[in-house]
Amino acid sequence: MYISLNWLKEFVKIPQKISVNEIAVGLTQHTVEVEGLAHQADKFKNIVVGRVLEVNKHPNADRLRVAMVDIKKNKLKIVCGAPNLAEGQLVPVALVGAILPGGLEIKESEIRGEKSSGMICAEDELGIGKGHEGILVLNNNAVVGGAFSKYLKASDVILEIDNKSLSNRPDLLSHYGIAREIGAIFDLTVKPYEKLLNKKIEFLNSKDSELEVKIEDKEDCARYMAVKISGLEVKESPDWLKEKLIAINQKPINNLVDLTNYVMFECGQPLHAFSADGLKKIVVRRAQKNESLETLDEKERVLDESDLVISDGQSPIALAGIMGGKNSGINEATKSIVLESANFKATLIRKTSQKLGLRSEASARFEKSLDQSLTESALFRYINLLSKICPALKISSSLIDVQQVVLSDKSIVLDLDWLDKKIGQEIPKEESIKILKSLGFKIEEQTARQLAVMIPSWRATKDITAREDLAEEVLRIYGYDKIISRMPSETLSLPEINQERMLERKIKNILSLKYCLSEMYNYSFVGEEQLKKLNIDFSNYLKLVNPLSGIQNILRQSLVPHLISNIKTNQAKSEKIGFFEIGDVFFGAPGSIKKGVNNEETLPYQEKKIGLILASEETDLFIQLKGIVDNLLKNLINYEIQTEFLLSNDFPGWADKNQIVKIRVLNKELGTIAVVNGEASNNISLKKKVVIAEINFNALAELIFSLTVTRFREIEKYPAVVRDLAFVLNEKILYNEIRNEIVKFNPLIRSVELFDIYVGSQINDNEKSLAFHLSLQAEDRTLTASEVEIIITALIKHISERFEARIRN
Amino acid sequence: MKNKIEEIRTEFLKQLAKIKNSEQLRDLELRYLSRKGELSDIMHNLKDVEASLRKELGELANTAKQEMQSKFKELQVVLEKHNKKNEFIDVTLPGEKFINGHLNPITLVQNELEDIFSSLGFMIGDGPELESDYYNFTALNMPPQHPARDMQDTFYVDLKNKDNQYDLVMRTQTSPVQVRLMQKYGAPLKALIPGRCFRNEATDARHEHTFYQVEGIMVAKEINFANLKSLLELVGQKLFGPNTKLRMRPKLFPFVEPGNNGEYTCFLCQGKGCRVCKYTGWLEIVGAGLIHPDVLRSGGIDPEVYSGLAFGFGLNRLAMLKYGINDIRLFNGGDLNFLEQF
Repeated sequence: MYISLNWLKEFVKIPQKISVNEIAVGLTQHTVEVEGLAHQADKFKNIVVGRVLEVNKHPNADRLRVAMVDIKKNKLKIVCGAPNLAEGQLVPVALVGAILPGGLEIKESEIRGEKSSGMICAEDELGIGKGHEGILVLNNNAVVGGAFSKYLKASDVILEIDNKSLSNRPDLLSHYGIAREIGAIFDLTVKPYEKLLNKKIEFLNSKDSELEVKIEDKEDCARYMAVKISGLEVKESPDWLKEKLIAINQKPINNLVDLTNYVMFECGQPLHAFSADGLKKIVVRRAQKNESLETLDEKERVLDESDLVISDGQSPIALAGIMGGKNSGINEATKSIVLESANFKATLIRKTSQKLGLRSEASARFEKSLDQSLTESALFRYINLLSKICPALKISSSLIDVQQVVLSDKSIVLDLDWLDKKIGQEIPKEESIKILKSLGFKIEEQTARQLAVMIPSWRATKDITAREDLAEEVLRIYGYDKIISRMPSETLSLPEINQERMLERKIKNILSLKYCLSEMYNYSFVGEEQLKKLNIDFSNYLKLVNPLSGIQNILRQSLVPHLISNIKTNQAKSEKIGFFEIGDVFFGAPGSIKKGVNNEETLPYQEKKIGLILASEETDLFIQLKGIVDNLLKNLINYEIQTEFLLSNDFPGWADKNQIVKIRVLNKELGTIAVVNGEASNNISLKKKVVIAEINFNALAELIFSLTVTRFREIEKYPAVVRDLAFVLNEKILYNEIRNEIVKFNPLIRSVELFDIYVGSQINDNEKSLAFHLSLQAEDRTLTASEVEIIITALIKHISERFEARIRN
Repeated sequence: MKNKIEEIRTEFLKQLAKIKNSEQLRDLELRYLSRKGELSDIMHNLKDVEASLRKELGELANTAKQEMQSKFKELQVVLEKHNKKNEFIDVTLPGEKFINGHLNPITLVQNELEDIFSSLGFMIGDGPELESDYYNFTALNMPPQHPARDMQDTFYVDLKNKDNQYDLVMRTQTSPVQVRLMQKYGAPLKALIPGRCFRNEATDARHEHTFYQVEGIMVAKEINFANLKSLLELVGQKLFGPNTKLRMRPKLFPFVEPGNNGEYTCFLCQGKGCRVCKYTGWLEIVGAGLIHPDVLRSGGIDPEVYSGLAFGFGLNRLAMLKYGINDIRLFNGGDLNFLEQF
């Protein structure tokens, strides 16, 4: 939002000693951020006044002419296409190097073979109007060679206000509102707005009134004021009006419309002027289903019952609070208007404006809940100013004021001791009172330390409702920099330890430092195409209602798809790459976290997963990742555990059915490890073999936290006897099975470690040889050779019978 | 036997002459001079020889052995000297190359903040990323249709509640966790809440629809604005150096009152003004305020008894400032060239 310094000065007298920079800093520190300052003259840099000395035909173009222009310092030859160019005119000349408000940079050029050193400008090219029929001809006040900004009296400074942060302060969306803040910040007197108004206007009595207003639902419109004015003439606005609007980047349109905008930017109340010929009745009502209206921007709007419209008794003539209808717009023939100054329900305006994607200066104000008392001030201000522009105007209706709701005067008790406690230091009582008064609050001292604070109407709509709000008012004007910081003093207490967060950090450190995997942060959303390529059925996946265009809109249930994409992105970088991610995934079924205190429904089930991915040409990649997972679990749980890799019947579409296992530790299933199958690999264009592990973080955490500390196991006193055994057996017999059989065979067998797998010419085709180190040990004695032999012999016999295996020499 | 000894001696000397390096020399030693070498064999077999011949043969064998050993030693010394010359080691050669794993810079900055606040006795809190409309907005003093909801373009999730309304959002801030923690732990409470957040906005170098925040809350009997200011000053000094100053100004956040923006002295130019701080000398870093009484009430805490402070940082912004990262999309971009710098 742009605020003109000159305009502000109409309401608050700013002494010379306060610079515009200080005003900007003051507003930023106490009210709202001023994002930028623009000196208006800069906009017209390198644009000067010139006199057209002679106009000649362009030798090579019928429509162009060549002018000699005197700019005092020298004379310029300029090619110009404007039909109204004539000798003797005073014109704005953009010199070489000038940048016009539209962004056009003026350069030395040649047009159809004729040199041109500058440009004679039309109104729209200068950003000061819409005229493009010809060049702008200046009046005799223009000084040849002088700056065009001087001619325009463009001495203003424009403050750019961050209005995104003003959603609670509709009063600040106006020059008067900002002036009031400046008054409070710098302790300056602000002229009461009422003093600008002349309310002695002769309205017709309602009997003779040519206008009638009806509001169908009082809830939708808190107040509707209107007046019919005739005897008007639509023309260009006078300079003072145009200048003000141009200064704040508004394009002047015509006198009647410009003035509605002027009043809005001045006091914050949007006004609307309907072309009134034949308009006798106004009804504020909801639109009917599929009722349509062409708005002033020449777009057809299809409406429904959620939209509020202004109708002429039959069809809509405006989208209430947002934009007028084309059918009732001011045109050149307009002789009379109905002026609307109303207060519409904020949420209605907001919804319709969002739904239609149609935001206007009016809707931006209405949707923030406007002060109902403003309608009156704005209406009088408009009539007062209009009578200056159109002295012949006639009031041809009564003063219509359908005031549905009367605001009660709200007051809040402010306990000054509470205030001091809240701020953490004493604010002098007089200071607090002065600040609140300067912002328009009325104060009544109830007791020495208690104030009854009346909220001004422009702050009472939604903004100020509690004593905390008053504390902020006092504090922000008093100045945050004046508060002396002080550390809280409190009783020592041990914070709750977030075990999961600690575990997560530990895992990240182990995976990155020990297993050399890099940490990915991937989006929580995946795309249909991506899932299709991986053969993942996403019919039960949650989706976004309102995704960004062109962005993935399905909530991930696994970290796998993005991790695979990560491989694709980086696969050319080196022979072998490995990544991990720890992140949340989302399911459709309800979980256990409540949606609200008094709400029995729960949020969709969400869990955290750990994803690991390796890619390279190595053939043993699957085994490598199993090793990482096994070791990671040992690092996290203890070094005695044995990770089991079990057959899985559950195959994600991307997984190689022959190379997928479930991970189980201490009887708890934690996830899977699988190789990406050829089809998925082709679909994604993977150039390497890829293997992925996905572990349920929550299940892992639960398992770890359920365990007690692993107790020290006394170091064995008696030596272990190690025997190596190799069994030849059918290749389809699983390692897991034979290992389990060995482990449980005799309690003296303490460890079984696979050290070699042989497949080849020395054994049959469908056979493999598994070689184990067996370690036998007793707690209470040294095992004798014969004792060991007996066990081993029995074991060989058992395994041979159980698996049709034989011992390999 | 006599011939045999002579044969061994001759053969040994012949072989010795051909030796080029210590390895060959070791082999030779093994073959002839070691315990199981050929000469030892002879010596061993002497016991089976007639007693009359034994002495002579013994002497002969000993002489041969001594000669062989001394010739062997001679060469060994020469070779050792020679080896020393050849076994020059370039100690400046690089060490073995290792692959490294890297943590995302967001993790690094988050850890840093968690550590600072843990040391101040804050617990680390977390909550669901897919959140209810109630916790994300209503409980934070943003009832339906509150204009402040405008500031946040929210991703809604396509799953309606029993009243046929969309009430699930990808959380737009970490603040819903404030209320969940208050409900769970009550007051007094000190917590730091890091996490992933979402906004429905188009991405460019400065904007991301997925980003990371960390926010802190402190609820106790007499928390005041001076406390907030001092805590923020401390954080600034920890993050950006001991001379960092704090400047606060008003800013609307519906869940705090008063609500503020905090700016810190630009650590790159020490407040002199540079490109990064847009020549203001200040960096806008933190949003803060005293917790709104309605939010305390949502959390089941009586605002007449307790008060609280809250503040929040954008982790992306902190990481971007700290490491000079110029494009916010890099954090979730999955590019190893980016990650391996951290």
